[in-house]
This record gives sequence, C-alpha cells and structure tokens, in this order.
Amino acid sequence: MAQSTRGQVVSREGTGQIHENTRGSKAVKLLLIGISVVFLVIMLVLPLITVITESLKKGFAEYAASVTDEDTKSAVQLTLQATVFAVVINTVFGLCAAWAVTRFHFRGKKLLVTLIDLPVTVSPIIAGLIYVLTFGRQSAIFPFLEEHGLEVVYAVPGIILATVFVTFPFISRELIPVLETIGTDEEEAAAMMGAGGFTIFRKITFPHIRWALLYGVVLCAARAMGEFGAVSVLSGHLRGKTVTLPLHVEILFGDNKFMPAFAVSSILVVFAVIILIVRSVVEYIGRVKKNVH
Amino acid sequence: MYIELKNVNKKYGDFKASDNVSFSIEKGKLIGLLGPSGSGKTTILRMIAGLEKPDSGQIIIDGKVVNDVPASKRGIGFVFQSYALFRYMTVFENVAFGLRVQKADKKTIAPRVRELIKLVGLEGFEDRYPSQLSGGQRQRVAFARALAPNPQVLLLDEPFAAIDAKVRQELRSWLKEMIAKLGVTSIFVTHDQDEAIEVADEIIVTNSGRIEQAGTPIDVYQNPKTAFTSAFFGQTAQLESYEAFKSFQEVGDYDKAIVRPEFIKITKKNEVQKYKSSAVEGIVERVEFRGNYIEFTVKCNGSVFTARRELDQEPVSVGEVVDVFIYRIFVTKGNEVRLVENSALREESVVI
Ligand SMILES: Nc1ncnc2c1ncn2[C@@H]1O[C@H](COP(=O)(O)OP(=O)(O)OP(=O)(O)O)[C@@H](O)[C@H]1O
Ligand SMILES: [Mg+2]
Repeated sequence: MAQSTRGQVVSREGTGQIHENTRGSKAVKLLLIGISVVFLVIMLVLPLITVITESLKKGFAEYAASVTDEDTKSAVQLTLQATVFAVVINTVFGLCAAWAVTRFHFRGKKLLVTLIDLPVTVSPIIAGLIYVLTFGRQSAIFPFLEEHGLEVVYAVPGIILATVFVTFPFISRELIPVLETIGTDEEEAAAMMGAGGFTIFRKITFPHIRWALLYGVVLCAARAMGEFGAVSVLSGHLRGKTVTLPLHVEILFGDNKFMPAFAVSSILVVFAVIILIVRSVVEYIGRVKKNVH
Repeated sequence: MYIELKNVNKKYGDFKASDNVSFSIEKGKLIGLLGPSGSGKTTILRMIAGLEKPDSGQIIIDGKVVNDVPASKRGIGFVFQSYALFRYMTVFENVAFGLRVQKADKKTIAPRVRELIKLVGLEGFEDRYPSQLSGGQRQRVAFARALAPNPQVLLLDEPFAAIDAKVRQELRSWLKEMIAKLGVTSIFVTHDQDEAIEVADEIIVTNSGRIEQAGTPIDVYQNPKTAFTSAFFGQTAQLESYEAFKSFQEVGDYDKAIVRPEFIKITKKNEVQKYKSSAVEGIVERVEFRGNYIEFTVKCNGSVFTARRELDQEPVSVGEVVDVFIYRIFVTKGNEVRLVENSALREESVVI
C-alpha cells in the first residue's frame, strides 16, 4: 500500500517526478547540480580528505599509536556507551511518547508534542548548563545524590544524560507521522479477535513502524556520537574518565597535537561512514518492503 | 433476547451521538441498522463491540451486562467499513490471526483457515497480501477473518460500501445465505434502504442518534411510525397541500403530506380509468428510463413528485397533461404519522 513506512523518506522520494516545463531548462539543471556538487566538495569532501591525510602524515605506525592510545580507547568506549544508552532510552521513550500522542486523547497533548521538540530548539550548551544547575553542588537535590553516592556532573551519568537529552526527539519524531497514517483500524480489528495490547503491538503495529524506528535509531546514534556542546559542559574533561571522542579531539587539538587529533577524528569519520551505510541499507530495504505490501 | 441495549447514551464532547438508544435482537437474526449519514449507526456498533464505552445505559449480550467487558473478551466478530485487513500478513495469516491469538490447537488452525477460505471462495489466494486483492475479495477476507474464532455475534459496518454495484448485489445475497447457514446473530450497518430491505430480517432505523423504529422490512416500509421514517423509505415527495387533491377526508392540522411513487396512479388522457372523478390534472416535467420501468416527475397543484409507469404502458412525454390519482398519503403532525386513504377507494369497496 502506498501510505506507510517512513514519513521522512517517503516525502523525499515524492519530489522526484515533475513535468519538464516546471523543471526548467537544461542549463538551470546543470547550474543547480554544479552548485550542489561544488558546495559538497568544499564543505564536506575536502575536510574529510584532510582529516585522513593529516592523520596519516607521519605514517601508519604513528597513526596506529594515536588510535590505540589508552585515552583514545577510553574515549571510544565512553562514546559508544553514551550512544547505546541514548539509543535504548530514546527508543523506549520514543515508542511510549509516539504511542501516547497518536493513540490517546488527553489534556496537554500539544504541550507534550512541543516539549519533545525542545532539545532541537535549545542550544546544547544551555542544556548542559541546566543539568549542571539541576544536579551540581548548588542544587537542592545534591545532598541527596551525594548521600547515595550518585555522581552526575563531571561523571559518566552526566555525559549519558546530556547525550540522551540532545537525541530526545529523533525516534518519536520518526514514529508519530507513521502511527498517524496507519490509523487504529487494524489494531481495533486485532483487539476484537481477542489480542492483548502487547500482541497487537508486536504483530500488528510493529511491522508498520519497523523501518521508521530503525531509521530513527540510526539518526539518534549518529547525533549521539557527535554530541559536543552539552557533553562538554557536563564532562569536566577528566581524561580517561569523562572524555568522549569529540572532547578528546578538542583536547588534543588544544594541546597542538594535530596529528593525533586528526587520527582520533578519523575514528569518528569511520563511525559516520558506517552509520551512513546502515542508513542507506535501511532506506533501501524499507523501500523494497513497502513496494511488496 | 440475545442482544439488548437499554437507554444507552453516548456523547462526543457536546455532541449526542447516541440518544437514549434501546432495542433488542433475537438470537440468529440478521439485523439491518439503517439511517442517514451521521445518525449514529457506527457508534452503536462500536459500543456493542466494546470499542467505545457508553456514557450511560446497559448493553446486554446473552443475558450478561457487558459494559465493563473489554472488546477482546466479548467474542464478537467485527467487519470494518475499511476492512482493516492486516496489511503485513497474507490472506491465510489474516484469517488465522484470531485462532493463533486464542491459542487454538496448532493442528486445528490450518484446516479451519482452509475451510473458511473455501467458504468465502478464495482458494488459491492464501498467500496474497491484502494489497494484491480486489475490493470484493478483501471484503470476503474480512468476513472470513471475523468468523474464524467462531463468534456468537457478527457486526458489519457498511460491508458493501466500497464495492461496485454489480458485485455488491452478488455479495448481498451471498452474505445473507452465509449468515443464515452459520446461524450467527448479526447486525450490519447501511445507509442504503434497498440493501436493508433486501438483506435484513429486521430493520432498526436510526436518526440523529435516536432509534426511530424497528421491525421487519415490510413493517417499517408499510407502517412508518414516525415522521422521519415516513419520509425516509421510498422515493418520497412532499405535497404542498393535500386538500387540493380530490376526495381526501379532512385531517385537521398537519405538518407534512408525503407520497411515494407507488401511491400515485398516472393515466394518460386517452386511457380509461376507474377514479376519473377523483383525479386531478398534472404536467409531466421529466421522464427517465430506469431499465425495467419509466420514472417521471409530475407537477400538480403546485407540488412536484415522482411517479412510475411500466414499460408496456404507452409512454408519456414531457409537457403532456395527465390525470393524477393519489391512493393514499402519509400525513405527519409533530412526530406522529397517519396513513390517509383516498375515500374514493372506500366508496368502491362499499359498492362491491
Ligand atoms: N470520535 C468522535 N469524536 C467526535 N465526534 C464523533 C466521533 N465519532 C463519531 N462522531 C460524531 O457522531 C455522529 C455519529 O457518528 P457515526 O459514525 O456513528 O455515524 P454513522 O451513522 O455511522 O454515519 P455514516 O453513515 O456516515 O458512517 C457524527 O455526527 C460524528 O460526527
Ligand atoms: Mg459509519
């Protein structure tokens, strides 16, 4: 069926087929493509090449040394840890929020939808500062946290918190439009046949939102890995402890260690490429599946 | 009584979708819920199904008040207007779903599903997805799916609405036969009066959230009990004033005088007729060929109404002056309705 899987992707595909006359002449076409390509080369391809060449400037041995350095290893670990937490927490939250918003009527629904979007509109630095104020020494709940040995600010929980915050809307935003278009008919039909809530979700709803969810996860993971602002405020830059990959790059750069900075950056580039590939595969499979049903 | 609704009310915001609805249905009957769009038919069906909760009143199925029983526990089959087939499942899986959910014995599922698919005439389509089926085929899958768990009650919301006229005709008879064979108590919603009259054992007429009348098709058609039903069935027209037509006795104060095509006899000037003295002249305004009869509108005493003639009768043409005799009229006052016979008919019978 035509409607379904991933809101975003669907609308993007829809723009391809316009009539010749509306599309304009060949010259316009070449110009537009040219501008896009030049822009992408200057803004993306050149810097990426620079990252790779700079990081390999002093030979592969040096590169390997910087990449396998203890601090780097711990940064990779922390970044992956924060990403996994962000993805898991936001998947659960995103499913709950999207379900609540599309399947129930309640007061303050508009407010909830607006709040979900807050993290994209608020600067990450401010988010970081809010958490410092909420969980830091000057906060009212600090004594309670201290008593129970919970460190948030300048500790790993703070990093995770900040990452979860900035990636908050990604999954629910992918799911809400899809849940809206599929409607409740099939779910009601399943309920009439005696299916319980979880069975309905697993057997009826989930196949519809599967690809949107995966797409949301990919976006969420990409954003989580690259997060700098909020994490920077909450981290305290304790090397080997609360330094994520982007922070590690910044520290190295600040110490004028350019080659290692580029080498560590290349790890992030590799992650990004992996995510891009996963994303394309997800989009592709989603599209093929959509054509089948 | 197998299904009973007692003083059921339902509001959406300030809007009364069900207004003190009460009716009862015998076991094994096929009931048509008939009314104009927005009259609350779907709302009634959804409340019986448990998909919507009434604000007040009782819904009783098989002697038990089911108001607090969730939809999944009511044992009701529901065919949705949109069919609501599971798009990501094959025909087979759609039909098997209810049995799987109810943890039916694995060995019995496949034969039961095959049996149902055979029943609805879709053998060979087991592995198709709903998007690969025609409207009529989808309708049948929806029907088979609803029947699979052996429901005691089957609810169908405008089961034929999305299907073209020819197939609809076939499916109607098919559905009636099928339900009679299975003996499952069924309610189907429609806003097509022909469909209700043709298919239902009993018709319940809804209007603005209320039940107007319930009874056999013949009964609700012949003896409308409310102003609404008298105008709803048949191709009715309202007369400006019935006094202008000859030999009707006085009825006093009234709101509307309503006629149906079968209440009217049109005679050409050159034809012999029985009630010549009680007929009035009218002018033919429009003539339409309807396949097995001719339908035309006549203007007479300031009123315009529809009448019919058989194909083997001499045709009438637009602008022709004809004699109009009216056998009977529904006269309404408030919500009351009364059938008034032309007294010329009575004199006749007295003479004989
Ligand atoms: N969820 C809802 N929220 C608000 N109003 C509703 C809702 N569902 C139905 N209504 C209103 O209640 C009234 C009855 O609706 P219902 O769907 O029962 O009509 P219906 O007789 O089935 O009409 P149709 O023949 O067009 O399907 C309508 O005026 C409709 O606008
Ligand atoms: Mg309806």
